[in-house]
Amino acid sequence: MRHILAFFIGTIFILGTVPVEANYFRQRESDVDSNVFRILEKDFMGVQFDQDLELIDQNGAQLKVGDFAGKPLVLVWSYYSCDGSCSAVNAELKLLLEQVDRQTIGENYRVLTLSFDKNDTVETIKEFRSFLQLPPKWEKAWTFAVLKDPQKIEEMTKKTGFKFFWAPQDKTFYHPNVFILLSPDGRITRYIYALTNNEKDMGLALLEARKGDFKVNEVIDFVVGLCYSYNYKEGRYTYNIPLYVGLGALFIGLSLLFSSVLLFRKKKLKEGTQ
Amino acid sequence: MSKKSEKFNLSEWIFTTDHKRIGVMYLIGSIAAFSVAGVMAILIRIEQSSLGPTLAADAMTAGQQYNQWLYFHGAAMILAFLIPGLTGFAANYFLPLMIGAADVAFPRINALSVWLFWAGIIVALLGFVIPDAPDIMWTGYPPYSILTGGNTAFYVFTVHLLGFASILGAVNFLVTVIYMRAPGMGWNQLNMFVWSTVTAFVIQLVFVPVLAAAVTMLLFDKYLGTHFFDPSAGGDVLLYQNLFWFYSHPAVYVILLPALGILYEVVATFSKNRIFNYKAAVYGGMWGVVLISGEVWVHHLYVSGMPDWIRIGQMISTLLISLPVGLLAISLFGTLYKGAITFELPMKYAVSCLFLFLIGGLTGIPLAITALDLHLSDTSFIHAHFHYIMGIFATFSVFAAVYYWFPKMTGKMYNDKWGTIGFWLNFIGVNVTFMPLFKIGVDGMPRRYWNYEMFPQFETWHYIAMLGALLVASGMIITILNWIMSAMNGKKSVDNPWKSKSLEWTHTVNPPGPGNFLKDVKVADDWTPYDYGK
Amino acid sequence: MKKMLTALTWIGLIMSSAIAMASDSAGVIKDPAESWKHLWMEVMIDLYIMGGIFGALAIYWLIKYRAKSPDAVGKGPKLTRSQRWAWAIVPCVLFLADDLYLGASGWSAWNVYRNVPENAMEVKVTGRMWNWEFEYEDGTTSSYDVDGDEGEKGDGLVVPVGTPVVLRMTSEDVVHSFGITEYRVKEDLMPGRITYIWFYPKKEAESWVTCTEFCGANHSRMYAPIKAVPAAKYQEWIAKRAKEEAEG
Repeated sequence: MRHILAFFIGTIFILGTVPVEANYFRQRESDVDSNVFRILEKDFMGVQFDQDLELIDQNGAQLKVGDFAGKPLVLVWSYYSCDGSCSAVNAELKLLLEQVDRQTIGENYRVLTLSFDKNDTVETIKEFRSFLQLPPKWEKAWTFAVLKDPQKIEEMTKKTGFKFFWAPQDKTFYHPNVFILLSPDGRITRYIYALTNNEKDMGLALLEARKGDFKVNEVIDFVVGLCYSYNYKEGRYTYNIPLYVGLGALFIGLSLLFSSVLLFRKKKLKEGTQ
Repeated sequence: MSKKSEKFNLSEWIFTTDHKRIGVMYLIGSIAAFSVAGVMAILIRIEQSSLGPTLAADAMTAGQQYNQWLYFHGAAMILAFLIPGLTGFAANYFLPLMIGAADVAFPRINALSVWLFWAGIIVALLGFVIPDAPDIMWTGYPPYSILTGGNTAFYVFTVHLLGFASILGAVNFLVTVIYMRAPGMGWNQLNMFVWSTVTAFVIQLVFVPVLAAAVTMLLFDKYLGTHFFDPSAGGDVLLYQNLFWFYSHPAVYVILLPALGILYEVVATFSKNRIFNYKAAVYGGMWGVVLISGEVWVHHLYVSGMPDWIRIGQMISTLLISLPVGLLAISLFGTLYKGAITFELPMKYAVSCLFLFLIGGLTGIPLAITALDLHLSDTSFIHAHFHYIMGIFATFSVFAAVYYWFPKMTGKMYNDKWGTIGFWLNFIGVNVTFMPLFKIGVDGMPRRYWNYEMFPQFETWHYIAMLGALLVASGMIITILNWIMSAMNGKKSVDNPWKSKSLEWTHTVNPPGPGNFLKDVKVADDWTPYDYGK
Repeated sequence: MKKMLTALTWIGLIMSSAIAMASDSAGVIKDPAESWKHLWMEVMIDLYIMGGIFGALAIYWLIKYRAKSPDAVGKGPKLTRSQRWAWAIVPCVLFLADDLYLGASGWSAWNVYRNVPENAMEVKVTGRMWNWEFEYEDGTTSSYDVDGDEGEKGDGLVVPVGTPVVLRMTSEDVVHSFGITEYRVKEDLMPGRITYIWFYPKKEAESWVTCTEFCGANHSRMYAPIKAVPAAKYQEWIAKRAKEEAEG
């Protein structure tokens, strides 16, 4: 007993000397290997995207960002003209969304691609869309638009932490391939990076953007959402381990309750028959 | 202990497997924790009694030592005094006597349980004398508990030891009540205290492992570099709070239920009355509390950014607690109806408990309502609320228990005069201390603040609260001294001074020897512990 | 019995929807602080009635049923089966009705708390051990240093009277909580998460924000003033702050 106690107290003191560090909101790097594009998530999470911003969509119709409120929105900054190389980010998003099965585009969320190239027009959108070839069902749910006032591009991209620049020698834009998830009231809930993420992360981020608003038949999705939490260091969703540990502990408690009562009954019955 | 000529033998006490001695060891340990934590309470009140640092030279020192006092006061009172005092001491000593059993089902496990309890008390007390004492409140929320320079490990090991002691006790007593009742004793003939202990231990057994798991992950995070609760690496800050309160709200009922059980015994005995609507109180009230206890923890997290629908859902389930607790209150108050009431010292404590229960219980209602809690959370209002219901109400019921069973445990009568003086000091003192806190809480005094220079208008109220605390301190010293002096030199008591009908009074001598009963107990079909009317 | 329960549920639902509708019909901004005070009064009346009934009965019985002789025993009624059920179900129904009433009132007040007005001005709040930093929409920042010299502590949060303010909050280190007594609001700040509250400064007032979640040695010194000033004065102040910051 004394040794155990000594060991025990010793352990406490040894443990007490281990230094600890923590670093929240680990800064992420974009897939283009440059610190220039780094989005400081800490500064932009929760920011409300300008609801009054006026847009012109693929049909030449005027609309506002606020028109997309009510459902989560995937916001993509992109460009439509293919001077050197075409923007790949929309194609990547299309691939990703095709694999997300529990959240349905149109029904559960919408997509909005905005151009950060001030030379883009309704014409270049049309060209680009024919190149992208969306499934007919997606037409309504995925809007491509340009800003009505191209002067606002810089202010608006900055507001979402998005940086880009034009490289004349390559005739191309350098920019992070990132999908920005907005909540039904237009606030940034997550950044999902095209290259480091899979459909699981996208699905979870879409679920998270709904802010706990779910129907009864979607309880399973909600529970699945609880099982993960976002990992800033790795830039993806990882298992929420303490939840499993807690559930396991609760299970131990319940089985202690039942087994102790039942096991003793067995023992008692045995004694009775002897 | 039965004869005076017997020499006191320490090792006999340490290695005993007798449930009565184990109960007494639980009582001594928990009163020790209570005393030290009480000193912390006085220090806290004195520090708050004036603006600016009162007991320290500068603000930083004041903050650090104040936080350590708060941590120790909270952790020791709840984990080392209230839970072991009610479920360790009272259940150990009286539960086997009430059901006519010679001992508990597993006497050796019982002995192990009290050793673990004492180890827990020692680790808890050590935590206060080491440098860098824990300063994380009894809740230990990360990331602070991980980032702090204080020794969080002491908190974790205290929880482990006391939790494990409690689990062993729970298994033991559930089995004892189920299989070792006297022949003829049916479920509806059990003492209310026995039922309250059974329900409390069911809660304890199911939920303690969750707390143990949560604090273990805290330990890993702080000392072994894991990231369970580190949001930068996929951890979830809020999850600890959820796991913690998933246990710690039910823990409130682990305290409330046995405290009510004791009150039922005392009120029934001194009213010489049967329990009003016994079945509704047991099956509706106590088991109702057990059922709801696991679905209300989010009311501790109303301001923690939980999803809106959970906050509203749990507001409803929290309000629904009023149903089982209301049944218990009606049954307890109704036991007075048409009674033959006498006001001996245990009854004085019990009657005061009825009023503390009303104040503490009713002030819980605004806290259950999410919108009101958005202001009241973490103010002195909540502080006063849980001190009424959990602190004072439960403590007074422990005192009622000690006085009520004092002749049973010692064979002697307590000193009534000093006991009564102590009672009035305690009762007046607690109200003087905590009534002002309700007032300044509504006005916005934050909890866990030694410094309130931005709210100088609260100084007078804090000063009054400090005077109240000094009254309580003097009352507590008189009370505990009274126990010690009376146990040594008190007048010999008759075997059943209260003329109770419960088995521990009618069938055993004072104090009961090994084996408890002189001959085997059998009870008739129509016997109950409360049949005074016959 | 079942009918009665159904009826009570309906009463609760109708009451709650009536309250909810009343709050929708008016075009004015609902103030959380006012709805809090209103709800508080309602609940207090409820508490005093319940406490009064139980307390008065207990005192009356304690006096009336004192033992007349040392050997007297109680004559408490032995309930029949139906009496037992009645004494269980009737109180439960009454408590349930009260719960539904309180729940409905609480829910409508909660809706006021959660529906941020559209024209609200947004301020970003960052909590750290142990101070608050406020960042306005134009990037201007403000803070408060409790240890600073008189006059150089900073202004804390300055807001214009008549404009609802929504706070977007996060923490850099541990859990904090942002509580303003004057406006009856409170919400935690956590690292890695964003939380929101809003309040409505209707008149000129100076109040305090205090940290209300334990955060270490200086927890009780983590406070800052909240100043609601006339709109013109606010414009003046923010221009001055912006200039100060530009000059470094």
